[in-house]
Amino acid sequence: MRSLFKIMHILLAGETRAFAQGMALSLTVLIMGVALLALSGWFITAAAAAGMIGLGTLFNVFAPSAMVRFLALGRTAARYGERLTTHDATLRALSNLRVRLLGGVLTSPYRRIERLRASVFLNRVTSDVDALDGLALRLVLPGAAGLAVICLSALAVAVLVSPVIGGVIVLGHAIGPTLVFFWGQHRADAPSRKAQAGMQSLRSRVIDLITARDELIAFGQIPMAQKSVTKAAQFQSESQAEVERIKRNTGFLLDLMGWTVVAMSLGIGASLAQAGDITAAQAAIAIFAALALSEAVAPVRRALSEIGKMRSAAKRISPLIGDHSEPGTTSAMSVCDGPLVLNTVTAARAGAATPLFAPVDLTLASGETIALTGRSGCGKSTLLLIAAGQIAPLGGDARFGGEDVFRIDPDQRANLIAMVPQRHALVAGTIAENLRLAAPEAMDDALWAALEAMQLAKTIHAKGGLDARLGFRGTGLSGGEGRRLVLARAVLCKPKLLLLDEPTEGLDAPIAKRVLEGLRTALPGAAILMAAHRPEEVAFADRIVKLQPVRQVH
Amino acid sequence: MDDPSKPQQMSARATAPGGGLSVLANLIWLAQAWVIATVLADLLSGTAPQVWLSALSFLGLGVLRALLNLRAQAALSHAAEAEIHRWRLDIAATEAATADVSRFGGAGSLAALATEKLEAQRAFLLRYKPARMRVMVVPLLILAITAWHSWAAAVVLLAAGPLIPVFMALVGWAAKDASAQQMVEIGSLNDLLADRLAALADLKLIGAGPQVIDGFAMASDTLRHKTMAVLRIAFLSSTVLELFSALGVAMIAVWVGFALLGEIGWGTWGSPLTPFAGIYLLLLAPDFFQPLRDLAAAWHDKSAAAAVKEDMASWQDEARPKMLGAGAASPAMAFESLVLSGAKVEHADQTLRFPDLEIRPGDSLAIQGPSGVGKTTLLRVIAGLERPSHGAVLVNGVPLSDTQADAWRASLGWMPQTPRFLGRSLRHNIGFGAPLDKSILHRARVSHVLDTLPLNDLTQLGESGAGLSGGEARRVMLARALHRNPSVLLADEPTADLDAETAQDIIDGLLAYVADGGTLITTTHDPRLIDQMHRVMTLEPRA
Repeated sequence: MRSLFKIMHILLAGETRAFAQGMALSLTVLIMGVALLALSGWFITAAAAAGMIGLGTLFNVFAPSAMVRFLALGRTAARYGERLTTHDATLRALSNLRVRLLGGVLTSPYRRIERLRASVFLNRVTSDVDALDGLALRLVLPGAAGLAVICLSALAVAVLVSPVIGGVIVLGHAIGPTLVFFWGQHRADAPSRKAQAGMQSLRSRVIDLITARDELIAFGQIPMAQKSVTKAAQFQSESQAEVERIKRNTGFLLDLMGWTVVAMSLGIGASLAQAGDITAAQAAIAIFAALALSEAVAPVRRALSEIGKMRSAAKRISPLIGDHSEPGTTSAMSVCDGPLVLNTVTAARAGAATPLFAPVDLTLASGETIALTGRSGCGKSTLLLIAAGQIAPLGGDARFGGEDVFRIDPDQRANLIAMVPQRHALVAGTIAENLRLAAPEAMDDALWAALEAMQLAKTIHAKGGLDARLGFRGTGLSGGEGRRLVLARAVLCKPKLLLLDEPTEGLDAPIAKRVLEGLRTALPGAAILMAAHRPEEVAFADRIVKLQPVRQVH
Repeated sequence: MDDPSKPQQMSARATAPGGGLSVLANLIWLAQAWVIATVLADLLSGTAPQVWLSALSFLGLGVLRALLNLRAQAALSHAAEAEIHRWRLDIAATEAATADVSRFGGAGSLAALATEKLEAQRAFLLRYKPARMRVMVVPLLILAITAWHSWAAAVVLLAAGPLIPVFMALVGWAAKDASAQQMVEIGSLNDLLADRLAALADLKLIGAGPQVIDGFAMASDTLRHKTMAVLRIAFLSSTVLELFSALGVAMIAVWVGFALLGEIGWGTWGSPLTPFAGIYLLLLAPDFFQPLRDLAAAWHDKSAAAAVKEDMASWQDEARPKMLGAGAASPAMAFESLVLSGAKVEHADQTLRFPDLEIRPGDSLAIQGPSGVGKTTLLRVIAGLERPSHGAVLVNGVPLSDTQADAWRASLGWMPQTPRFLGRSLRHNIGFGAPLDKSILHRARVSHVLDTLPLNDLTQLGESGAGLSGGEARRVMLARALHRNPSVLLADEPTADLDAETAQDIIDGLLAYVADGGTLITTTHDPRLIDQMHRVMTLEPRA
């Protein structure tokens, strides 16, 4: 529940004004709805009473009938305004939430960001954020407005009709449903979590069945895979049925409470009228108000069906949002240039303790290029991430300009060090937008120069220039073109230390050679550390450092 | 459990009982309103009503209504659950019986269809269906009762009621597909988020994080402006509905009030309006509009469900090749010979013809040729993963068919070019439940890889492969192929994209297998591997 409050805080914090407006309009809508029905009931009953004793002509009909029309029109207008303001506020809040999420992820440890790339996680994050979008619009606003209106109406009924009926309304429309809501969501918590877990395993098993179909057929595993999908579906279905059952039962309880309130209002109101304490028209006010207020209770049902999903979504999303402070930045140090020095650095896979390679020592001066070689999986990429200050070494330390890379102020580090990993990350948008991610101020000339250095200017011209659009994940470029665009972006960073992970993978040998030369020409003073496995890359380096498997030093 | 052979029931038939109950529950209001009107009318006329008896009978009716609603919801919920479950089983069964991926989309889109998209069906069956049934019955009955008491009130309802759909259609036409539009916009905001999240790790490495966030905030702001422009029109349609229902109730209230005062003499069938009738009419009027409002609120559920049904239909209607055999575990057959004669495969864009071929136990064959010439397809045909459109694959002299495909594949080892793992432990991904054979792990050079993993062979693999490098993944696949002691090993480009040392590891593993008497068929460009094979075959592109 705490995570849910945290998310709610984020949603509401930035947009207090918009939400306050929405809240005021929601209240107006509900109050006018209740007033319309109660006033009509009173008007008709009072008119009948007056008509019966022949006082019809003395009865002031115009005020109440004008009021009825005003309420009818006003309610409609308020409703339109309410829907617009609350949706606007929600859209703002939902953008806030996503921006905060991106910001939170950005400052979290590198390994965690890396994991997010898997589509399973991406799917889950987006569906979680989706679930939380409804928090304000479907849970907080209607809940608060409903409660307020019920209490206000109860107060009005207490004053106009009878305090007892006012009490019954508060008890049966406000306190009762609130208790039922908490009871219901408590009961539904476990099955709802089961249903969601079932959904996740159903999803991943369907994906397994389809993506690994050839392997499953070849290894005779199809019936097993189908059975595991069926089992997940069965589990999900059973848990979901349980959630639905609890939802129905709480709905039934709410129904009973609602009818009890109306029946009590009817009984008490009519008894009081019969005893002559109040008029029949006053009794009508109570009855019609009690009836109209069921509309204010309705959001509880809606909220009940979503609260479970929202709670677990909040639990997963709120650690991602985190607070905006990167670990290890407390003693931020300032440096301006190399060399990069690695002292007996070792590393392990995430979560493991066995070193991947024997301790590495190297010094890389400005303008120098070192190629890291070694077999696939020996830890070259991990070593680059250590040099970039993104992950901690298992042993030893990495220093740039004499300072531990971890302790350099992150903003400054971002200016000094750039790394291009093996997979190339492009985003939906124009070529220029993708390039300017690295250098927001760069002029078009600078962009073209970087593209030229990476042998890409001609291709981009052919595609329509800097304004050519790329699809999601940079679709629209071939593997080799994407690779070179990412390298051009790194050139625009003008780093003092450039870390490259197999930079020319997927490029023809002659282009690879020219791209590497282009890099050096564009960044004459940069220290370049490169994980290399192609002969062109190795040949380009001034020195070669080979990572040795750890078992050879035993 | 549902019997999968049972024909697919129409959801209409499954939801009829639940919908009927929900209509019945709504109609109880007619009796409840009658109780209230009677009590108030009796109070007015001073005929000492049985107050508490009436209140009790009102409550009794309320309990009955709540119970009917409960039953209705239960029936609808079961129908929805059964339908969703049936679709899911159908997806599992169909996907487990076909040999090729659907054009419908990647595994992700089909998985999304099987999971959250199908859930749209639940809201449709639970909300839209009963609302539709109520619209057909409840307003008509209320109109009839109203008309019985007063033609004027009936005219008000009649005018307001049918006008609602007309106006809604007009406004809806102006805001064409506005709500769908909104869904698309929010959907694209999510796509944008996923896009940026996926790139964030790498963009952080060039210090572009803040720019990404600024760009995203701007994009979502633009999206908000666009969405609100659409919503301003879209909400008009529901406002029209609200307006007419509020005006309808207000007009009836005002008319009833005036009639009861005696100010208006017209609108009834002769005799003046009684207080009972006036109150009764006022109580019924909101419920005339309520089903229409419910239906409008559930409209979105309908379009969502229709979109999903369309997806399901397009997935179902696609003609896809059936899998050869069942893909089930089976005792391996003793391998004597493999003959390919006149085999031809027709793909959408090209026809691939394969040269005749004979393989005997102990052979080793390298298949080379330019990319796109059908090397991988040839291996798939041999493995019985794809049916040739012409010609035959003869295993031990018998054409490969459904009856022995599983036994033939049980004697094969399969090593694809792209590593694909199940989202389970590494142990399961190699042995599929069988205990791991240490000597085979050693032969495939994966023992050392296991040592560096956090949970050894129990480390969970998945899309991200638990951080295995390309070369390590290839070695794991070699281990998996060798683990069942195959008579024939099919390896697709086993050394592509590997560094020299890892490639040599793989080649050593393959050669050791051949030296032990295994039969190897491999597609490759790698001269180090080609040189070691007994036979080499080159596939030529067709002129």
